[in-house]
Amino acid sequence: MTVLEALNAAMAHEMARDDRVVILGEDVGTAGGIFRVTQGLQQRFGPKRVIDTPLDEKGIAAHAVGMALYGLKPIAEIQFSGFIHDAFEQLMFGASKYRWATGGQYSVPMVVRAPSFGGIKGGFWHSQSPEAYYVHGGGMKIVAPSTPRDAYGLLLAAIRDPDPTLVLEPVPLYRALRDEVADDGTALPIGEACLVREGADVTVVTYGPLRHDVVAVADEMAAARGIEVEVIDLRSLMPFDVDGIVGSVRRTGRLVVVHEAPLSLGFGAELAATVQQVAFGYLHCPIERVAGHDLPYGFAGGDEYYRPNRARIGAAITRAVEFSF
Amino acid sequence: MPTETPPAQFLGDPRPAVPPPLDRARELGIHQVLDIEGRPRGDLPDPDLPPATLHRMYRTMVLVRAIDERGWRLQRSGRMEFWIPSRGQEAAHVGSAMAMDADDWIFLADREPGAMLLRGASLQSLFAQFFGRAGEPLKGRRLPLLLGDRALNIVPCMTQVGAYIPHAAGAAWAAKLRGDGTRFIVYFGDGATSRGEFHSAMNFAGIHRPPIIFFCQNNGWAVSTPTDRQTASASFAEKGEAYAVDNLRVDGNDPLAVYAVTRQARERAGERGASLIEAVTYRLGFHTSSDNPDLYRLPAEVAAWERWDPIPRLRRYLEDKGLWSPADEEELVAQCQAEIEGAVAAAEAMPPPEPGGQFDDVLAAPTWRLEEQRARLLADLDGGG
Repeated sequence: MTVLEALNAAMAHEMARDDRVVILGEDVGTAGGIFRVTQGLQQRFGPKRVIDTPLDEKGIAAHAVGMALYGLKPIAEIQFSGFIHDAFEQLMFGASKYRWATGGQYSVPMVVRAPSFGGIKGGFWHSQSPEAYYVHGGGMKIVAPSTPRDAYGLLLAAIRDPDPTLVLEPVPLYRALRDEVADDGTALPIGEACLVREGADVTVVTYGPLRHDVVAVADEMAAARGIEVEVIDLRSLMPFDVDGIVGSVRRTGRLVVVHEAPLSLGFGAELAATVQQVAFGYLHCPIERVAGHDLPYGFAGGDEYYRPNRARIGAAITRAVEFSF
Repeated sequence: MPTETPPAQFLGDPRPAVPPPLDRARELGIHQVLDIEGRPRGDLPDPDLPPATLHRMYRTMVLVRAIDERGWRLQRSGRMEFWIPSRGQEAAHVGSAMAMDADDWIFLADREPGAMLLRGASLQSLFAQFFGRAGEPLKGRRLPLLLGDRALNIVPCMTQVGAYIPHAAGAAWAAKLRGDGTRFIVYFGDGATSRGEFHSAMNFAGIHRPPIIFFCQNNGWAVSTPTDRQTASASFAEKGEAYAVDNLRVDGNDPLAVYAVTRQARERAGERGASLIEAVTYRLGFHTSSDNPDLYRLPAEVAAWERWDPIPRLRRYLEDKGLWSPADEEELVAQCQAEIEGAVAAAEAMPPPEPGGQFDDVLAAPTWRLEEQRARLLADLDGGG
């Protein structure tokens, strides 16, 4: 399956198993979504379970909150994560606060699917990495799968989770990868990273589509220079797998974080702060961060020079490995 | 770094007093059962509610007024942090909440304590909420008057003004999709109709027809902003027209009219879907205990609205029907005072939340990070480091 097919299969599986699951969003019905992630689901489950909504992200998110309060398990599709800002209050004060602010009486078991990240010549509307806002808000889980298998397992986990979960889908990978995925309803645990590649010299932690660039750089560095890079795909950002990262850094003594979101207060800042707190004595060099810049994502040049590319990833790994006091 | 400058001062004058729209109710299409004297001479027929229902309505309104007066004094004397007055709006929320069935869901704004009382909330639990005590249903986590309790099917407002309106509509839509008979009402104010979410909810509701009543308490003011600075529309109800949502205006200080129109909207919700009710009322008190209405409105405007006070109006109606006497009134007032004093004493004695408890309920199960933060806080408070 491709990532897109895996996401579709996960929703179909859960809709067949649990009649509380409904999908709502712009163009999700007849058209199957602008990317076709929900293709065929309205035909199979009917227009009461796969609902075309008005063009209104805050309305989609807010109605999904209400549906979840009343016991449904809505999956709200935001057409592009760049449009999610319209729903910000709904996710921040709606979805992610009911449980806490009612002393645990109400909960909002909804999923927000947001096609995210750059790499499709989309300019800043269609290339957003909004994770940091939602990590900061609290009360919401966040996952970012980057393989078909992870997409299937994490979307299933998100649908079954008792709390609101934001699924950042890797737009540039929707049809770019194929994987054997058993459509057997097995969910992946949220909060568990994946050790993608073992290596003794330096740890690179990443998530989203860049995972594949990081692995390619690691392979090149091993072949060309004998540098062994350990690659960890976080997969879950809230909560994140602190033990997996710290364990790796204690072995390698070096950490490079790679993500597309802007550098300042990006997820890498949190990882760097956490790792220096609990593994200070193990570090041989400053923690390197490769990130998007603190500026908008351009149409021309954004994919090449805003988004971390292989040259920048390789340079950061080299800085980490060659660092000396 | 600049040093602090002297505080800014208000320079504007309050606008001229605006007469209550209720003075021209018929002309403005505001439905009424009662006239200003409490006589059933409005355009709507007297719903002829049974005496027990009328007594419950009146007692609840009087109790809400007494709670408001007591809470205000507690705040002013420093025993309570904050207060949101409901004075003047008793009929609007009590009349409408009574028109809903016991299993219906209610989404509250912040001036509707009577809805909690009607569903059986104890006075002690209300005052425990006002004092922010751990033992109240919301564990002391919300500001006073942001009330709710799942056991009563009452959802507290979660987002900013009005942004929760589609939560109620989404829940109603879910009930419709599930095919059950639950009906919904959501309260909000005139200012909330300027929020995008009000329009989202109305727009979705026109299409999908969830069984819900959008209940707008137009109390004349959104903090210091009068309704004519909130909208140029002739009414808030007419905003329903654009979305094909049934709508009307009702005298929000006439509990019988509010009851009648809300009941009617509830009864046709299964077939017609949503209704927008604009209850024309007035906030006789401050916006909150942090407000000072003398800066923006004139005493004459408030005085004109005191003539429409819903409590004496309903009392006169009951007296005319022979259902209420001065002795009943005396007894009720004394009973309210005694019950409130007992509840205040009991609630004030309840303990505040423990510092570690705030980490509960963020998610169904705390993350490692929350557990780490809890442990750190407790150790630091303990002087352990």
